[in-house]
Amino acid sequence: MTADLIVDPQIRFWVFLPIVIITFLVGILRHYVSILLSSQKKVEMQQLADSQLILRARALRENCGHIPKGSFLIRRQAFNKEDGYLMQKRPPVTQNMMTDPSMMTDMLKGNLTNVLPMIIIGGWINWMFSGFITTKVPFPLTLRFKSMLQRGIELSHLDASWVSSASWYFLNVFGLRSIYALVLGENNAADQSRQMQEQMQMTGAASGMPADPKIPFKAEWEALEIVEHQWKLADVEKELLQE
Amino acid sequence: MGNFTRDLEQLKRYRENNDRKSREIVKIWEDSISSNIDSLGKEKHIVLEQVCVASIDCCRLNIAQRCIQELNKDFPNSSRIRILESMVYEADENYHKALQILNDIIKQDSTNSAAKKRKIAILKALGRYTEAIKELTDYLKIFMADVEAWQELSEMYINEHDYSKAAFCVEELILHNPHNHLLHQRYADIKYTQGGLENLEMARTYYYQTLKLNPKNIRALYGIYLTTTALLNFQKNVTQKKKDSAMKVIDWTLKQIKKRYSEASELEKDIEEALAALEI
Repeated sequence: MTADLIVDPQIRFWVFLPIVIITFLVGILRHYVSILLSSQKKVEMQQLADSQLILRARALRENCGHIPKGSFLIRRQAFNKEDGYLMQKRPPVTQNMMTDPSMMTDMLKGNLTNVLPMIIIGGWINWMFSGFITTKVPFPLTLRFKSMLQRGIELSHLDASWVSSASWYFLNVFGLRSIYALVLGENNAADQSRQMQEQMQMTGAASGMPADPKIPFKAEWEALEIVEHQWKLADVEKELLQE
Repeated sequence: MGNFTRDLEQLKRYRENNDRKSREIVKIWEDSISSNIDSLGKEKHIVLEQVCVASIDCCRLNIAQRCIQELNKDFPNSSRIRILESMVYEADENYHKALQILNDIIKQDSTNSAAKKRKIAILKALGRYTEAIKELTDYLKIFMADVEAWQELSEMYINEHDYSKAAFCVEELILHNPHNHLLHQRYADIKYTQGGLENLEMARTYYYQTLKLNPKNIRALYGIYLTTTALLNFQKNVTQKKKDSAMKVIDWTLKQIKKRYSEASELEKDIEEALAALEI
């Protein structure tokens, strides 16, 4: 078995610890660089008004039972009539993401702080510290974990609980999240794994783009249209006096 | 030092509960914080802002100016600090200068709601209520879900005796916060003031709802009593049955009110006894 496999203590000082320190410091650096590069998003007046409008319509729909019927009908009319709040005509959002220069710079900055360091540091670590066994996880693992924990080492007889240097780097990248939260506070930009997730979503739904308000407006319009007003206070007198 | 951290925690509690304990805050500032601002650490700016507003509230403008100076070192040209500046001018009754600053901020960033609200407050302080109402309605056209603004507008309308519009604003408040008994009570108050058969009935229902949400609301009990008697007087020819039930309601409310008061006075007696026991 591999129980008698002894790792050179020099590896601890020259591979194991440096990888931890490098990933940690790079994370801190990323945090401050992203603060430097971040541009304050300017909120558009129209967008703000739209979101507040949706909020108000939702409140009306959910809690309409608490106001008298007449008041509810007035409000619904104001929202849903021909040129009511929810039916207003808007110039369609035809701006393409690519033609909007601020969008472009935002994406560039995102790439600059996310993808580029990931590739460069990852590649450098791979090149610099390749081929070392750095540590061993204190429990037995099945063979399937070999590809995950022993990247860069192709030894079929090695026990799967040994961790190679490249894999140790990746474990650090994903595992330092709580340390960053401790050092930099919540919502820091140091955590690569979270930002990668965000990017994944970005490509999927293109979030952050000013969405066309027509779609949520239409949904809210429909919901309001079918809401039936039930006055919740109709029986309150009886209920109270029965006690 | 233990004192210092305790004071900081106290300030934090005030901030979180939205307490307007301006005097206490200024006292804490004078006792412990003013001499060691630099050891505030991360909380420095938020504490400075809090102290600044509190000192303006107490008309201690020199403290406010010192806070603004400290903040300006770290954030020159911040609109949030400029709003504080305008508030200092406002407290000094230099409304012209305050308005100038606020207009500048709004010109730069038309979505700055705090600046717009301050502007309305200044109009109110100047006694230009109709203008303030107009500004506030314009503000609400954009920030439709701003509950505070709706409340302010309702109060302004009440001052102008425009009760139906005030009622509309309170309805809006109820929609956003349907389980607050004070809002229901306010709505009933307005409806009662408006008068008329329908409004009185509406007022009574809302007083009932208030009482249901908070059984300790004594104003709601009085409200039920008043609306029921008013309804009895209002309707000339009511059936005997209706009259009986109305009288029953009146009896019930009066009993409830008496019970409340006797409970309260008992409690008071207890306190008096307790105090008497403490005396030497």
